[in-house]
Amino acid sequence: MSRVLRAAAAWAARRAGGAATTGTITGISGIAPRLPGTLVPVRHSGDHGKRMFIIKATSFYDSRFLSLLRFYLFLTGIPVAVLLTYINVFIGEAELAEIPEGYVPEHWEYYKHPISRWIARYVLDPPEKNYEKDMAMLDREARKSELRIMELEARRLMRHRGDGPWYHYETPDKNLVDNSMKSTPDN
Amino acid sequence: MPEDHDWEAYKVPPTRTPVSERTTSVPNPANYFQSAFNYVFDTPVTFVREWIERLQSKNKFYYYHQKFRRVPDLSECLEGDYLCYYEAEAQWRRDRMVDQEIVEIVRERMAACKQREGPNQFQNCAKEMELLAQVTKAYQDRYGDLGYHGNARTCLMKQKHRMMEERKAAQEKQ
Repeated sequence: MSRVLRAAAAWAARRAGGAATTGTITGISGIAPRLPGTLVPVRHSGDHGKRMFIIKATSFYDSRFLSLLRFYLFLTGIPVAVLLTYINVFIGEAELAEIPEGYVPEHWEYYKHPISRWIARYVLDPPEKNYEKDMAMLDREARKSELRIMELEARRLMRHRGDGPWYHYETPDKNLVDNSMKSTPDN
Repeated sequence: MPEDHDWEAYKVPPTRTPVSERTTSVPNPANYFQSAFNYVFDTPVTFVREWIERLQSKNKFYYYHQKFRRVPDLSECLEGDYLCYYEAEAQWRRDRMVDQEIVEIVRERMAACKQREGPNQFQNCAKEMELLAQVTKAYQDRYGDLGYHGNARTCLMKQKHRMMEERKAAQEKQ
């Protein structure tokens, strides 16, 4: 492996025209061995062969992003995964059975998975309660709408017939009316 | 775990492959593949599953299918009785869900029959095809073109129109 690197370094050095100069990434072309970045031979080779200082674009931001992503995903992901594994392996799902005679199952006993049962038992309201709430709201609104319709009908009739307590308007007394100009027709 | 469908419902008829008499001494390679599959996949998976089931069988709990009481239909409700409307609507929706499941089961039976029979399907699956045709026609007649906002009232009106047309057709026939 180091021989390949050494050969590549020698080639790069020849291309760059000297040991001190560095090449750009765009300078490498052709059928060279493609290593990431540019190879720059560095001194202090010692016994391990030529040490290379590989110049490439920074991966700092990318690796920081990925490591943060992994951290925040696993922070809640691993506890959730462990919990789900525990529940599915050690508690397990319910089995379907016929309703025994004279037994009324609770509302959470109609679900299979233990988490659904837990949610139905401790978080949500029983469906009977929901049903009754809806029916109560409907009943109240129905009574209100009935009364409103009756009120509108009464108002209409009283206005039309004029014999009810509503729709009384103050009019001037008939003795105050001056009838003199109405008595002679040709005025 | 997803459940297997009911093996008893769509029974596969027994295979009629003839018993082969060996004429060579070369062993059947299929047996080696079968035993390899057995050791690599089947045994560990079965072992794990049985271990899990032994753990879970200690405290078993059950779930049931809810049975709803029948309430008066929409056609038996007085006008303006909104509580009766609500209960009838809920019952109608449950009945529609049940009917959808019935159609689904009949379709699955048809598909199972086709898969079993293979090239003989058009002859041997006639009963299932007839049943599927009847069931889908009935579903279409009852719940057919009500649309997304179909409710018990629109379904009742559709039934009313159907009965009116039947009566008209019967009168025209006379």
